[in-house]
Amino acid sequence: MTTEEIRAPASHATMADVRVPQERQSTLGQRIYRYRFVYLMLVPTFALLLTFNYYPAFMGLYRAFFKWDIGLQPEFLGLGNFEKLFIKDDIFLKSLRHVSLLTSWRVISAVTFPFIVAELIFNLRSNVHKYTYRVLTILPAVVPGIVILLLWHFIYDGTHGLLNAFLEGVGLEDWQQPWLGSPKTALYAVTFMGFPWVGGVTVLIYLAGLQGISDEIIDSSLVDGCSGLRRIFAIDIPLILGQFKLIIVLAVIGGLQGWVAVFVMTAGGPGTASVVPGLWMYNNAFLWNKMGYASAIALFLFVLIMGMTILNVKFLKTGDY
Amino acid sequence: MTVLEGQPQPIQRMSLTEGWRRAWRTGDWWRHLGLFGFLFFMFLPFIITIIISFKDIHQFDHYPFTVTFPLHPENYLEAWRIVSRYILNSIITSGTSVVGMVILAAVAAWAFARYPFPGRELFFFGVLALLMVPGELTLIPAFLLVKDLGLLNTRWVLIAPYIAGGQVFAIFILRQFFEALPGEMFEAARIDGASELQVFRHIGIPLSQSILGVVAIMHVLSTWNDVIWPLVTLRSNELMTLTIGLYAFRTQFYTIWGPLMAGYVIASIPLIILFAFTSRLFVEGLSSGAIKM
Repeated sequence: MTTEEIRAPASHATMADVRVPQERQSTLGQRIYRYRFVYLMLVPTFALLLTFNYYPAFMGLYRAFFKWDIGLQPEFLGLGNFEKLFIKDDIFLKSLRHVSLLTSWRVISAVTFPFIVAELIFNLRSNVHKYTYRVLTILPAVVPGIVILLLWHFIYDGTHGLLNAFLEGVGLEDWQQPWLGSPKTALYAVTFMGFPWVGGVTVLIYLAGLQGISDEIIDSSLVDGCSGLRRIFAIDIPLILGQFKLIIVLAVIGGLQGWVAVFVMTAGGPGTASVVPGLWMYNNAFLWNKMGYASAIALFLFVLIMGMTILNVKFLKTGDY
Repeated sequence: MTVLEGQPQPIQRMSLTEGWRRAWRTGDWWRHLGLFGFLFFMFLPFIITIIISFKDIHQFDHYPFTVTFPLHPENYLEAWRIVSRYILNSIITSGTSVVGMVILAAVAAWAFARYPFPGRELFFFGVLALLMVPGELTLIPAFLLVKDLGLLNTRWVLIAPYIAGGQVFAIFILRQFFEALPGEMFEAARIDGASELQVFRHIGIPLSQSILGVVAIMHVLSTWNDVIWPLVTLRSNELMTLTIGLYAFRTQFYTIWGPLMAGYVIASIPLIILFAFTSRLFVEGLSSGAIKM
């Protein structure tokens, strides 16, 4: 059936392509009619997007201004939710401090360690070795994220964990901790999880940038006696600023949104020692059914992510090299 | 050494040493050393996981991080009994949604790339704008929506939103690719009497296999790893996907480390198999500059 429908108007489209001037003369209605099969192609996509993406997004924006508890009639509050959020909700304010620490470290680690690895791989002489290392660095990215989180949960375990065993091995028994169970260390444990902080995909993005640098530039720099660290700072980094920008934007977004790790590792605890805004939203919505209040947190996160992304893109300009 | 001329390995080494001497004073050896250092710590947790997965409780108590004999492969059987269902659920979910997503996204991207229909840019912007919307904003209303639709605790509660959400990025990538394909080829096929559908199916799709593969793999990775959506929408153990299944599995097996770690190993295998067959696609796709600002 679909074959017939598409085939019939297809001949129209062919003729339209050949006789472009006639196309311009036809009215909008005629053109829409001519391409009606194209609109048909877009119907399933937009039906799904409207249902599962647009409707919830607008609903989320709208209900952020309501008191909206499950089972009760929504009640319009204006900016009431936000007032409560920023003035009365100490835990939310605390979660903002936590998330800035998490995000800062994410950005710092994403622009250093993966870049070092990318430079090491890029400067290898042998293409076979390059390829092998690329595959090896991407391999951990294939292990499901939840497995990695649960492994780190084990590494930090107070009685059986790898970290405490290591500290005992090097004679630092005093430093042993139930890392995730102590309010003093939980947030830091979650923040610095993932040692040695080399994301495979990030390495690949840097490598793609480095491989895009033309050989002439590298050769002429060698002729001028610019090599090693000097070349990295004078040539490589300025030339792949685009990649750095992308990585920073991704790290900021990932840090602000990355509450799943906190959820799995500590659930924000002990108490609220490691709570982050995304988790606070989750708790309000799914533990206490305060959907309106949670939507306000979600809207705040949305604006924050949007703002940071625009700021990043504007502020970190790619130079004209 | 000298007799092994035909084998690739020594030749590789030869050229390596030559290039070494010629161009760089500093050798590659310290780069290898650095990379080994990074890779060692990256792989250490996984190696220890595998070691622990073969231990019984006593072995773990006495020698937690070294290989101990006898090995206990029965840990894997025990873990498999529980994890296998979650793996199957994840395969069904990710598999169905990736097929649906790729078909819908390819058709839509084709429409955007090859037909100058009225409103094309407007519609395309309508898709692109969704790239800016974080999952946090839609989580709560989407949850209430599927609840009202009666989808909670069914397979469709995952599959339908995954298809919908996955399309956005895929359409963005695929449109760029389809637009770059040479138009003469399609024109020639049309003159030979091919219908629009035939042009798409027999020329467009075969030319785009690798990019479709990249898009599909990225979708499988993201749906396979999703935690929050299945966590809030699924209740029954029979339907749980791997991520939340493992999460529940941990609480069940806490301190029985052998089977627990065996479960983690088993859980990682499906994606590693996928990767083994598509690694080139994967690596090339990610580093080809398809994603760049």
